[in-house]
This record gives sequence, C-alpha cells and structure tokens, in this order.
Amino acid sequence: MTAQVLAVIIFIVMFALIVADKIERHIVSLGCGLVMLVLVFGICMRSEAAAAETLSLQSFFVPNFWFQAGETAETSTGINWATIIFIAGMMLMVEGMGHSGFFKWLCLEIARAVHYRTIPIFITFMIMSAALSMFIDSITVILFLAAVTVELAQILRFDPVPMVIAEIFCANLGGSATMCGDPPNVIIGTSLGYSFSDFITNTGVIAGISLIFVILFFYFSYRKELLAGAEGRGEIVYPNPREAITDKKNFMCSSLIFIVAVILLITHAQTGLTVATIGVFIGALTLLTAGNSALLLLKRVDYKTLLFFIGLFVVVGGLEQTGVLESIADLIARLSGDNAMLMVAIVLWLSAIASAFVDNIPFAATMIPVIRSLAAAQGVDLSVLAWALSMGTDIGGCGTPIGASANVVGISVAAKNGHFIGWGRYCRHSAPATVLVVFISMICIYIRYF
Amino acid sequence: MVEKRNLIISVGREFGSGGHVIAEDLAKRFGLPIYDHGMLDRIAQEKNVDKKTLEKYDEKPVNHFFSRTVSGHSSSLQDNLAQMQFDFLKKRADAGESFVVVGRCSETVLKGYKGLITFFVLGDSDVKLRRVMDVYGLSEPEARNMMAKKNWKRKSYHNYYCKKRWGDAANYDLCINSSRLGLKGTADFLEIYIRTRLETEAGGQMIKK
Repeated sequence: MTAQVLAVIIFIVMFALIVADKIERHIVSLGCGLVMLVLVFGICMRSEAAAAETLSLQSFFVPNFWFQAGETAETSTGINWATIIFIAGMMLMVEGMGHSGFFKWLCLEIARAVHYRTIPIFITFMIMSAALSMFIDSITVILFLAAVTVELAQILRFDPVPMVIAEIFCANLGGSATMCGDPPNVIIGTSLGYSFSDFITNTGVIAGISLIFVILFFYFSYRKELLAGAEGRGEIVYPNPREAITDKKNFMCSSLIFIVAVILLITHAQTGLTVATIGVFIGALTLLTAGNSALLLLKRVDYKTLLFFIGLFVVVGGLEQTGVLESIADLIARLSGDNAMLMVAIVLWLSAIASAFVDNIPFAATMIPVIRSLAAAQGVDLSVLAWALSMGTDIGGCGTPIGASANVVGISVAAKNGHFIGWGRYCRHSAPATVLVVFISMICIYIRYF
Repeated sequence: MVEKRNLIISVGREFGSGGHVIAEDLAKRFGLPIYDHGMLDRIAQEKNVDKKTLEKYDEKPVNHFFSRTVSGHSSSLQDNLAQMQFDFLKKRADAGESFVVVGRCSETVLKGYKGLITFFVLGDSDVKLRRVMDVYGLSEPEARNMMAKKNWKRKSYHNYYCKKRWGDAANYDLCINSSRLGLKGTADFLEIYIRTRLETEAGGQMIKK
C-alpha cells in the first residue's frame, strides 16, 4: 500500500512539475524516475526484479527486439527502448532533411503548383501537413510549414493565422494515422506489438475519413478571413523553390533516405524488421551520407526529449509494478459494467479531454497498461481499445493551444512573426473540430468493430 | 581624441513610485530616446502588425497553466512578446545606441553592455497610494487594489526571466525611494549620479547619441 501511495505521489509531482514548466521536463521525469527507483522499487518493494523489468535493459539482447519473424503481438513494460531508438533515428533523418532545405522546397513547390492562390494553398497545405506527419514528427512539419505559411502570407497578403491553425490540426490528425506519426502511437505500437499496417488500416482509415470532414470544416470556417486580404495584391515577386535548397547533394540523399524510411516502415510487418532496427538503420544512413555535417546533425538531435521518455517510462513502470494502473482499469471496468462500447467511449473521450490539457505522451504511456488490464480482465479486444486510445490522445491534443507539441511550435512560429494566436482565436474553430473528429472516430470504431 | 561611448539608463520601478516620470525626465536631460510601452510601436511596425494586438501581452507574467514550452518554443504570447522586446533592446545596444529603458527586465537583459546604468525606483506606500489616486482618479480601495495587481504582475514578469529578484538591491546600481526627494529631486540626484559615473568611468568621454 505504501509503495502504491508513493508511486502515485511521485507521478502527480512529475505531472505538476511538467505543467508548471519551471524545470525542464527531461530533468523532471529523470528525477522522478530516480526517486521511483530508490523509494518505490528499492525501499518499499525491495524488488530488484521489478526494477530490472522497468529498466528493461535485457530487451536489447532479445532477438525479437531487432527482428520479428511472423506476426507477433508481444507486449513490453518499463522503458520502451524501441520507441527511444526509433525516435532518435527519425530525429537524425529529419535534421538531415531540414538541413538540406527539403521542407521549404516542398512547401514552395506546392504553392507554385497551385499558382499561389490562397484557398488552394490552404487546402493543399492541410493535406501536405497531414501526409508529412504520417512519417515525420509533427513538430518538425509545423516548424517548417508555419514558417513558409507566414512568409507566403506576407508576399500574398493574407492572414496566416487561419492557415497555421488548420495546418496544426492536420499535423496532429496525420500523426494519428500511422505508428510512427505521433509519439503516443510509437509507444502504443511498440508496447502492444502493433505494426505500421495495423495502424494504417485502423487509425489510418479513421484519420482519412476525418481529414475530409476537417478540410470542409476549416474551409467553411476560414474562407472569408482568407479571402479578405487576397484582393489588390499588386506586383508580387514569387519565391523560387530551388533557392530553398541549401545543398543539392544533401537534398538528394535526404530525399532518398526519407523514401527508404517510408518503404521500410510500410513493409516492416513483412520484412520482420522492428522499428528499433529501422531507427538505427535510418539514423546510421543519414550520418554516413552527411559527410562533414554528421557531427552537426548529432548535436542537433533533441536529446532532452529522449531523456524525458526514459524518465517517463520509469515513473509509469512504477505505477504499473505497484498495481496502481490495474486499480484504474478496475475503476473503468466498473464504470462501464460489461458494456464494451461504453468502455471504448470512456477510453476515447477520457484520452481526448485529458490530452487537450496535459502532455499526451505521459498520458498515453500511463494508459497502455490500463487498457491491457482492461482487455485481459473484461475480454474486450485490446486492439479496439488501442485504436480508441490512439485517436483520443492524438486528436484531443488539437483542442487547445497547449494540447500537443505541434500546437505550441506553430503558435510560437506565428507569434515570432507578429501573428499572435490566443486561446480564444485558437479554440474558436479547433475545439469544435476536435469534438467532431473524436465523434467521427467513435462512430467509425462502433461501426467497424461492434 | 575623445572616444564616443553609449549610455543606457535602465529604470525599474514600483507602480506609483513615479519611476516612469523620472525615466522620461532623465531621457529629456540627456537627450535620449525612451523605450517603454512605446517600444511596441516600433515592433509592430517591424512585424507589420497592429500595435493593439501586442499591447494586451506587454509586461505581463507568463501563465504556467495556460502555456507550454516545447524545444524552446513557447505558446505563451506574453513570453513571445517579451523575447521580441529583449531582442529589440539588444539590437539597439549592439548598434551602439544610447537610450533610456523602463522596466522589461532591462537591467538583466542588457547586463554586460558598456554604458549600462541601472536604477530601481521605489516609494513609501502612502505616497504611492496618493499619487495613484491623483493620477488615475481612483478611490483609496481601488488605488490600493490597482497597485497590488500591477506590482504583482511586474514582479512575476521580472522574476520569470531573471535570476535575481525584482527590486532586490543587489540587482541594480542604485535603488532610490522617490518619496524622499520627490520626482524632480530624485531625477536631479540621478542625473548627478549618471554624470559622476560617466566622468569616473570614461574620464569625461562624450556620450554617443
């Protein structure tokens, strides 16, 4: 009992400190992880085995970690090293792509292809945001897309704010479509043993249907605002996409590596290569082809996020080992009775509402053991709960300016250029769009799985 | 040959102490531009946006519960505006410009720049209260409430960005109670201090305008 209370206190303190934003979140999660190891595993539980299981270092030496022959649905607990290695590899690849000017070139090419007309740019940028976020982390996508949008808005004289808000939403939506699109999905996929194709054929379909509704919703919401400044543009000097490419050789290499990464991810269930292996391969390939820039790319990797994940997994491991998460699963089971549809609704809406206000990564990491317990105890299909959790955490974050990392980055990029997006302006259309997509997700899950 | 050097006067102030009026007076006496909320005009012009949008977030503390930071990017509009103002001040200082700046953590942001002189103006509570009542035409409770709110905001804003606390004597060259000498008397005293500093440090070198 003491161990459970302590684990909950450590978890709450970690969450409060992350929300307070006074101390960097990787220091918070690592510090809380260390306290969890010493106090809960060491002093209260006196269990070396529980600590070792949470640290999960043995996972590196299991062949399944690198190569999985055939369909496997092995689940893991504690530090999810596969997630960390995969994200590190993708970070390297994305750094390489950004370094070569790939993203800016792509944005400008698309703008040129639609003849720099505001509404077609608005729609194509939403689709591009969703498509890129399926494979690249949404922070990077928004970082480049929002910057180009603001730049184009200045040239073409339209208000960039509606476009940036819509791009943020679509980046989060695109991220929900694949296993590698959003950190919660990487964690769900690697923890519960789901493949890229499992995601694309389940959450991917829901995200695709939702995207159609979202484009229509934002088009009707922002049409007037976007067209307001488009008249009387006068003489305009359009940017040349080729000028965005800083290094032709690197540009070609990083584009090829991106294509290889997409192919490897799409086929990983068939090839047997795990996401950890893909992460190592893509990261190594990027470094090998980067030449003199390799060291620079290594330095640019966001180590703080990786360390944050490690600490977070230890804290959540503490909650799991002490049985706290099982108690939460029991509570959800009691609330929903034997009604699986109600259980899915609770997981979906709870995840969405929580993710609108707190970081969806710790939330997803916490909920995975909960849905695992629910599935085991109530006989509900684990995959259905996993898709509900994935859609809830990924889409819920769209609802508020602080719900997801992409929102924060997009708002910051716009603000740095003098376009301030407050809570009111952000939520006016994004909050209803979030409710709409969560509702669509619920309907899709009900129709398909019940 | 006399080398020109820049002079940057940073004035922190308690609400109602008359620190802003003193800063304006010093700017006139030394023939320097003053950067206060008017800085927003310049920023709005540079960014091609409406000043009114920026005003709402000027010198306001960051709300931890309604904002988040991701990889150095903040969703707080207060934070983004504060960073713009800090950059604006640093650019001016880098360009060798002389100016007076009111608040905006300038004593910390511009630390290390040659020619920086930092003041903090405080005052007796009853004197500040009377002044706020007169200037804003408020009743005593209203003025007291306004003072408490404004000072809390300035303190929170300052302490979010600076290691040293708002109004802590260790953070400034000189802290002065404006209730003792009055606003003009305080400005007279500070002028003497500035001229003495300039003479002592630069041996009578000219001020670069």
